[in-house]
Amino acid sequence: MARFLARRAATAMVVLLGVSFITFMLARVVPADPAASYVGQHARPAEVEEARRALGLDRPLLEQYWTYLKDVASGDWGTSIGTKRSVLSEIGSRFPATLELLLAAIAIAAVLGTVLGVVAARRHGRGLDAALRLFSTAGISMPAFWLGLVLQIVFCYRLGLLPPTGRYASDLQFTSPVEQITGFVLFDSLVTGNFAVFGSAVEHLLLPALTLAAYPTGVIARMVRASMLEALSQDYVRAARAYGVRERVVVWRIALRNALPPATTVLGLTLAYLLTGAFFVEVVFNWPGLGQFTADALLSSDYPAIMGVTLLGAIGYILVNLAVDLVQARLDPRVRLS
Amino acid sequence: MSAELATLPRAAASPAPRSRLRGAWEVFARDRLALVGLAIVVLLVLVAVLAPWIAPDPAQGRGAAAVAQRNLAPSLDHLLGTDPLGRDVLSRVIFGARSALGVALAVVSLAIAIGVPLGLLAGYRGGWVDEAIMRVTDTFLAFPPLLLAMVIVSLLGPSLRNAALALAISWWPWYARLVRGVAASLRERPFVEGARALGLSDAAVMRRHLLPNALGPIVVQATVDVGSVILAAASLAFLGLGAQAPAPDWGLMVFDGRAAIFDHWWYSTFAGLAIFLAVLGFNLVGDALRDALDPREARR
Repeated sequence: MARFLARRAATAMVVLLGVSFITFMLARVVPADPAASYVGQHARPAEVEEARRALGLDRPLLEQYWTYLKDVASGDWGTSIGTKRSVLSEIGSRFPATLELLLAAIAIAAVLGTVLGVVAARRHGRGLDAALRLFSTAGISMPAFWLGLVLQIVFCYRLGLLPPTGRYASDLQFTSPVEQITGFVLFDSLVTGNFAVFGSAVEHLLLPALTLAAYPTGVIARMVRASMLEALSQDYVRAARAYGVRERVVVWRIALRNALPPATTVLGLTLAYLLTGAFFVEVVFNWPGLGQFTADALLSSDYPAIMGVTLLGAIGYILVNLAVDLVQARLDPRVRLS
Repeated sequence: MSAELATLPRAAASPAPRSRLRGAWEVFARDRLALVGLAIVVLLVLVAVLAPWIAPDPAQGRGAAAVAQRNLAPSLDHLLGTDPLGRDVLSRVIFGARSALGVALAVVSLAIAIGVPLGLLAGYRGGWVDEAIMRVTDTFLAFPPLLLAMVIVSLLGPSLRNAALALAISWWPWYARLVRGVAASLRERPFVEGARALGLSDAAVMRRHLLPNALGPIVVQATVDVGSVILAAASLAFLGLGAQAPAPDWGLMVFDGRAAIFDHWWYSTFAGLAIFLAVLGFNLVGDALRDALDPREARR
């Protein structure tokens, strides 16, 4: 296990180096002059020159890359051109909101996807199976930003049931402010007994989380269906049935337990999708997370912010994939960490 | 001479291609969802090709404004309503099919053109060539999907062409990895060794013996990817990183309509519906193709 971890960590480091090199080169090779965008549109040439020296842009490219690597490693991810604040602290202050959304979506998708997949597998080849397959394929085919808008039209505008945007009702900021403990509003408001904010936060989280969950629900349902079909045709299932084990137990305990490990392979891909999928959902629902920040950075060529978010995304992706491998090895003894 | 001889082993590797294709079609046609998907795809292609003839107002479809009739709700005159510039939404959606399909085909072809040769080379040569190509591939795949494309477009400047380029740059590694797997699994097989023993060059072995065997998986992947790329390009456009006004582009239309979504719901809704249906169609066909071309499925 330790050797496996070490080897995986080593490959991850190589990939991370490559990733940082690509982001670095992208930001330097492009026509837009970072120094010019740093000082703003109306700066004099001398000011641009000065900014170029201050930002180290007059040094040789490889030297700049080395400096960049050293800075990143020591926690200096540069300063956002848009907000003039440190990129790392921008990311830190927005990350909890994004993570809250991600976790909610994953929870919904894991439960809903598994149930749909199992039910479809049990009705294999019948009408319900086809209907559920259409449903889960629809889930992976739907643009999240569009689904979000449609849900807003229906639930916020037509039915008036749920709030369209934000993380919790903005007036609660003054009447019952949330104590910042972790930055996760749901958690912070619950531990401090701030139920007004908690309720409002749940209401606000519902639609974005459902929107974000559409894709992973579809992926998980498809995968669980396929591996359940495999599991249900195995001898141990026939044996369990022959022993008179109740069908519910056969399906939900015996077969599902064996069907889940292969299904976890898609988890990595799903989580990776969620990292960027959340951006779009956040933009639609005005969710104050990383997505909004990234969208602004992308549109204004705020390259330190872009590089920071990209690097964070890649690190997150690599860690997620590593975690999935470990979970899989733990669940399935046949995967011997080769 | 050597070319004629070399065709023999390939024929032996895939006996009676005609009956295999027919079998594949039977598996495909048995799946009702596949036929639904195929119908959507055919419809989409027809709409894209015939856009100037079937759109109620081709000029508005291309971008001409008619401000006197802005923001009209769907009615018999304008089945899907009009947009903030008075353009007929149905015409815009119909012309949008061209943009969507065009970008998707361009991106997938470019990704195949880059990824397939690299994958063949890596899988067939093995050793350090394989190692080098696959590490580069891994690095590109280490970015969450779409993130790399978003970054590239934002740095190159937003336009439909740059969006397509960026998507191709982030898509090719999937083909490299896919084809590498096929090539590596066939490298030691007798028909490949035979071809090599006959004196065929590496390029010829890859082209005549490895590539044909990888075609099935490539076709399946490409079909699904056309859908995924339509979705990705629309997502870029929605962020303002793709097609620019007044181009008829579904993602851009959803973005444009978003500002007044509660007052004029139809604009974003129908454009997004078009994206959804197109992607759904390609996904359904891709799934069925995977089942049909997978010999294990045929026996079920």
